[in-house]
Order: sequence, then structure tokens, then C-alpha cells
Amino acid sequence: MPEAIRVFVVDDHEVVRRGVAALLESEDDVEVVGEAGSVAQARPRIAATVPDVALLDMRLPDGDGIDLCRDVRSQNPNVRCIILTAHDDDEAVYAAVVAGASGYVLKDMRSASLIDAVRAVAQGRRLLDPAISRMALTRMSASQPSASPVDALNTREREILELIAEGMTNRQIGETLALAEKTVKNYVSSLLAKLGIQRRTQAVAVQLEHRSRPSE
Amino acid sequence: MTEEGFLTFPEEPRAKLDEALSDLVTRASDVLATQGRLRALLKANQLISQQLDLPVVLRRIVETAIDLVRAEFGALGVIGQEGNLEQFIHVGMGTADVERIGHLPEGHGLLGALIVDPHPIRLSHLADDERYSGFPAHHPRMDSFLGVPILVGDRVFGNLYLTNAAAGEFSSDDEELVKALAATAGFAIDNARMFANAQRRQAWFAASAELTVAVAGATDDPLELVVERVRQVACADLVRVLIPSRDSESMIIVRARGQDEDSIVGLEISRKGSVPGRVLQSGKPLLLNEDQVPGASKTLGLGPTMAVPLSTAGKTSGVLAVSRLPGGVPFAPEDLEMVADLAGRVGIALELAAARSDRQHIALMEERGRIARDLHDHVIQQLFATGLELQSIAGTLPAGGGPERLEQAISHIDQSIGQIRTAVFALAPKSRGGQISVRHRIIDLVGELGSALTEKPWVSFEGPVDLVIVGALADDVLAVVRESLTNVAKHASATKASLVVAIRDSGVEIEVQNDGAGHPSARSSGLTNLRERALSRGGDATFSSTDGAATFRWYVPINGRHDA
Repeated sequence: MPEAIRVFVVDDHEVVRRGVAALLESEDDVEVVGEAGSVAQARPRIAATVPDVALLDMRLPDGDGIDLCRDVRSQNPNVRCIILTAHDDDEAVYAAVVAGASGYVLKDMRSASLIDAVRAVAQGRRLLDPAISRMALTRMSASQPSASPVDALNTREREILELIAEGMTNRQIGETLALAEKTVKNYVSSLLAKLGIQRRTQAVAVQLEHRSRPSE
Repeated sequence: MTEEGFLTFPEEPRAKLDEALSDLVTRASDVLATQGRLRALLKANQLISQQLDLPVVLRRIVETAIDLVRAEFGALGVIGQEGNLEQFIHVGMGTADVERIGHLPEGHGLLGALIVDPHPIRLSHLADDERYSGFPAHHPRMDSFLGVPILVGDRVFGNLYLTNAAAGEFSSDDEELVKALAATAGFAIDNARMFANAQRRQAWFAASAELTVAVAGATDDPLELVVERVRQVACADLVRVLIPSRDSESMIIVRARGQDEDSIVGLEISRKGSVPGRVLQSGKPLLLNEDQVPGASKTLGLGPTMAVPLSTAGKTSGVLAVSRLPGGVPFAPEDLEMVADLAGRVGIALELAAARSDRQHIALMEERGRIARDLHDHVIQQLFATGLELQSIAGTLPAGGGPERLEQAISHIDQSIGQIRTAVFALAPKSRGGQISVRHRIIDLVGELGSALTEKPWVSFEGPVDLVIVGALADDVLAVVRESLTNVAKHASATKASLVVAIRDSGVEIEVQNDGAGHPSARSSGLTNLRERALSRGGDATFSSTDGAATFRWYVPINGRHDA
């Protein structure tokens, strides 16, 4: 029997984390090696466990799965990531492409795809149809979500987007363009903002927590 | 007493004394007559000065002039802007005579002479004058004539015409008296006009103020209020609001009040050459007399017209046009000034109303956003977690009964997640970067068609629909959704229908299911057309039905060659 696929689960909803973990553990060829509920927890734990596959929720209380994914892969390109999202497919495609993830899985039960996805990614396959990735990329660099020309991608951002599309990590992009990894990271952030991909800011998260408490 | 005792005068001086006495008596009676006439003039002056209503003032002038010089007929002709007789107020002629003549004088002949050269004309016999141009048939005989101009300020307002003096002809005294009366008449007319203007101004200001308040707070259509009120204040026969239509060549009548109000709303008129078109282009008010209005307005049966721009946010967004019927009193420049002022205020009020509705809209969007975030952040996660748990339980159960029912429950949860996801999406702002996504277009279309079905169709999306379905493909997809759902509503006697638009295996797939019986007309021309659309893109369409369920499936591959 081959070695089990080592999976790390990041999601701020404990019920989801537990559910995913339970489902994966029920398969013989999968082993959950760790869990985290925030970016801050996830970074050191993933670095320590070096899983084969990391399942990353797109929205986290202190950041998002896209940034986390790029960080993780910059540190260790062998860790393959899957973006887990309650959002819709259109958002998820852009997110997965920019994150340099192997694909995304929606939070629904359709065709029990989570296990299949984990197995496929562990074997080095990409979940996204190349045609669709290409479309997303063309759309991102060509037509801006915002009509304002100020928000259009600049040459450097476009350059970086192309390298992201080739699957490069922030570190690799930095080496190629002779930039510091931190600079690349900043470019990716502004690029995401300009593309209008939803990101959960700390402020919104705190606000929502406050709002939902008294009614509970 | 003898005859000698009587005092006697010689014949000659006695005759002179008689003469002097009778002269004195005549002069005394002349003085008395003149005094009487001067008194009459004073009274006449008083009579016409007391009035403030212009039509009454004009009639009073003619009546008092007749009394003053004892004429049989009298009239006052008001001179229009073109030097014609705009109004003709006559006294002394019976209605039967007026009807027989058929029309009022237009200002030719002697009447015209006074218009051209405003100095008094006094004639013993009309017909002897070279400027006399004859009377129309059935006109009463007129002989002696006295015509005196009436000046208001230094402008000739009109002329006073008097005929058939009781004394046979008019004297120079008569002329002087009427001249004096005309001077007073000028002041009286001026007063009456100023009063009328003041009243009109007040009415406009009142309407302006009332509308500004009403429009800014209006819950129903503010423009309806505008056309209604303007029609009253302007004494107009038709008030219209026009806005530019999309084709940039015409304008569309969006509100109308007055003549034919129902039939002209929605009518498009050309911008070129039309009154509203000119105002839209220039942004400036326009005042037209009846003979200045273009042919297009005439076909609408319009006479004197004024039009002003309706501006919001400094931009001319529409035109307010105010018209009277042909033959109506022309609008005065003051009217234009007033309606322009009113339109300006209304524009500001409309802006305020729009801003308020924007704020309400934003508040609504924020509320929706909160609901969507809650659904997304809590409800979907919970359902997902529950589904996962059920899934892992299903794996541990022995086959038969249990796992199957769990599978069913899981698939229900899955449907719920899909529905919530569609709802979250529908709650989000529609446009991103100015373009409405195909998913929003589909949701809107289903909403529109849904009323034909007992229950609103259930819609779900799979895969990056907005990313893949763009351009002409989007038009095809919408046509498929429209045709297939219409078909279900028409033929399938279905109560429930569902629609799935999915990106699967590098293709676009549309699946329409309903619980009605399959129907032969499912192979209608509409569906044939949809199949052709699929075939032309290298795809296909199929229709299948089992007991109690029918499925239409439409599929086209993406194959990289798309209409991005």
C-alpha cells in the first residue's frame, strides 16, 4: 500500500474543519496531519508538517486563502494547495489562478468531489481546465472589472500576472524579475484589489462577529 | 300815466343789446355745455381708472367714449406685434349685425391708416376720404368718423374709433375730449396690465413653491404634478415633458396634460427642427408665436408654444413644452421667464428626490449585502458541515436502506446550498465594471418568465458561468433559457421547473426539467431552432421524457474557440 496522502485543513469554521477532516479520515489513503482556523496559525503549522495537500478556505478572519496559498508555495513549492470556498465558481476560478493553487473545491456536496480532488492534486494534476484558466487570465489582464483607467493593471502587475499563470511562486517571480519577495507580495495584493476579488478584511470580520453575538 | 312816461330805447342800440344778450345766453349755455362735458370727461376718467381687469377696462373705455361725444358706434382695436388688429372690442352694434358680417376688421383702410400713423383722424363723411376702403356686406351705414390712438408709455397700444355723431359730425371739441380720454385710457391699460402681470407672477411663484416642495417629497410621479400644475398656471391647452430617446435623433413624450394627453404619451418626435429638439440642443428657453411654430407642432394641433429645459445636475435631461391651441393668446416674454424659473426649481427638486432615492437604494443594497454575507458566512458553512458529517456516517453504515436515505438527505442539502448560493448571488450588485453578468441576466429572465408557471423555476449555476458564457454565446444561452421555459409553461402543464446552467467537462450545459408530461409540441419550431443553435457551435440538444418528468438538455463545447 502506498504512503497515505498527508492533508492540512485551514478553515475558520470549526464544524467545517471537523467535517472535512472526518470525511478525509474515513478514506484509507488519506491522513489529516493538521488543522488551523486562521492565517497566523496556519503558516507555522504548515511549515512544520509539510503536507502533500493543503485545503485553504478562501476567507479567513486575519487574511485570505489566496495570500496564504502564495506564502505556503513560496516556502515550499511541493505543497499543493486547493482553495476551499463557499463563494461561487466565477470568484473561485480567479482566486485559484491568482493563488497559484492546483484548483478549487466549492463547499457543497455535489458528486462528493472533495476526496477525488485531493487524490488528483496529490498526484500532481490540476483541477482547473486549462481553457478556463486561460480565459480567466485573459479576462483579468484585458478587461478590467473596474471601468476606471486608474485601476487598470500596470505593466509590472501584468508581468507578474503572467508569471503567476505559469505557476511560479512569489519567490520564483522575485528571482525572475529581480525583486524582493516582499515586493512581489505587495504587487500581488494590489493586483487582487484591482481585480475586485473579494477579500475579507479584518474590519469586516470584527464587525460581523460583533453583530451576530447579541442575537445568539 | 302817459305813454310818454315810458322809457324808450332807440331801435338800433336795442337791436345791439338783444344781440349781445342772446350772445351772452348762447355763450353761457356753451360754457354750461362745456362744463357739462368736462364733468362727463372727469366722470369717464374716473370710471375707467377704477378698473383693474384689462378686458373690463377696454370695454369701459369704448362705452364712455361713446357717451362723451354722443356717437352711435364705438370700437377699440388692440394692435398686435405684427401691426395687425389683435383684438377688436366694439360697442353699439347688435349681435345679429355682427353675425351677418361674419368677421371682425383686420386693420385695412382707415383703421389701418391710424395704425401706420398714430394721429387723430376726424372726418365728416367716411366715404369721402381716399383711405376709405369700403365696408363689408351687411355692415351698418357709417358716416362721420373720429379715430384717436391710445398710447401706453410711448408705444401705441391701439386706437379708439367712433362713428355717427348724434350732431351729424364730430367737432374739434369732441376730438379734444376723446384725446383726453385716450390719455387716461393709456394709464388705465398700463395699470391693468401691471396688475395682471403681478397676479400672474404671483400665481407662478406660488406654483413654483408648491411644486418644489411636492416634487422633492413626492412618493408618486413628480412629473405628473408638474404638467398638471403648469397647465393650470399657464392657462395652457397642452403641457408636455419630453426626454431624449436612445437613438439620439428623436425625443419621446413621457408626460402630457391637456389636449389628447393619453394618445400622445409615448410618441416620438424628431429632434431636428422641432421646438423641444432645439431647446434640448441649446439648453435655452424658446418662445414661439403661432406662425413661428414648425410644421411638426402644427400637426399636433398646437398654436403658441414655449419650451424650457429641465436640467438635473447641470445637464439638460428633458424639455418642458407649454402650448396653447391655434388662435390662443400668444405667450408673453414674462410667461417664458416664469416657466423657465419654475423648471429650474423643479430640476433641483428632482435632483434632491433622486439623491434621496439613491440613498434609500444604497441602504437597501447594504442590507442585502449583510443578508448575503450572513447566508454565506454562516448558513452555507453549517449546511456544508452537516452534509460532510452525513457523508461520513453513510460510509460506516451497512448497505440497504440507511445509506440510500442518507444519500438522499445529502443531495437535498446540496440543493439547498445551491439555492442559497444563487440567492447570495442575486442579492449582490448586478454590474461589475458596467457589464451585467450573464448569471444576472438569466436570473432576471427567469423572474420575468416565472409568472407563467405555478412556481418560480428553481435556478442553479455550476462552474464559472460568467467567465465562459460571454458575447454571442451569452445571447444563445439566454435564447435557450427563454424558449425552453416558455415551452414548459405553454405545453408541459407543469407546476415545477428547474434550470441548471453549468460549465462541465469543457462545455456549456443547460438543463431544463419539469414535472409535467412530455408533450409532442416539445418538438416545436422554437426547440428546433435551439437545436440548430447548438449544432452550429458543435454541440447538440436533446429532449427526453419519462413518467412525470421531462428534460431538455442543450450542450455546446467551449473548445477554446470562444467569443470572449
